[in-house]
Amino acid sequence: MTAAVIVALRVGVSPDVAFTAFTRDIGTWWKSHPLFQLSRKGDGALRFDPAGPGGRLVTRFDDGKEWEIGAVHHWLPGERLAFGWRLPSFKAGQTTEVDVRFETVGDATRVTVEHRGWDGIPQKHVARHGFELMLFQRRLGEYWRELLKEMKTGF
Amino acid sequence: MLGALADPKRRRAIELLGERPRSAGELAGELGLAPPAMSRHLRALKEGGLVEDGHPAFDARVRIYSLKDGATAELKQWLAETEALWSHQLAAFKTHVEGGA
Repeated sequence: MTAAVIVALRVGVSPDVAFTAFTRDIGTWWKSHPLFQLSRKGDGALRFDPAGPGGRLVTRFDDGKEWEIGAVHHWLPGERLAFGWRLPSFKAGQTTEVDVRFETVGDATRVTVEHRGWDGIPQKHVARHGFELMLFQRRLGEYWRELLKEMKTGF
Repeated sequence: MLGALADPKRRRAIELLGERPRSAGELAGELGLAPPAMSRHLRALKEGGLVEDGHPAFDARVRIYSLKDGATAELKQWLAETEALWSHQLAAFKTHVEGGA
């Protein structure tokens, strides 16, 4: 079974600026969240290496070890960025895909992240944070409220 | 099933069906939707492979919707966690890019 998560946000810059900042500065803007860490070692410092088509999204952990999150599949500056997404906790062969779109909305840009391709990643992996279901649902509610608020401000 | 979960009502329907199977009427009532709108959402969820329908043994006239595969607790968890992750990261990105960095 496959599934998709779609999260969108409006940013007050042009698509080109947004794309450049998204790719070039990912090591800066990506903020590790204690509840949604990419690995037990944290998130590390992310980068597109090399930047451009044919590159990879890589993270470097504090201990110096690197992990390839995924290969870049689409690199269209100002328009679209797509890359594979595998975490250290995934089993061999399990992968997901992230597709980021940059669209002009007035004098701003809507950035849409679509994360898809769930294929039965074992629960002990995805649920390794030991979340209570209720906590998830509350977070989900918070998320939708946040998103709707964003939409109201001209999304 | 791209987009099948882009709608908050559908997400809520998935959450409700995660608790237990329900009829379309029950779901419509809980979501505050008119029956035609509910049918449309359920059709999208069915086509997306998330939901299936069937008849209870005692009454072939009743159509009951449930989550498919029984793998849905994991799926729901993955969806929730992935959404929370990107929601958090995109907010961080917005702060960064609008800060003139």
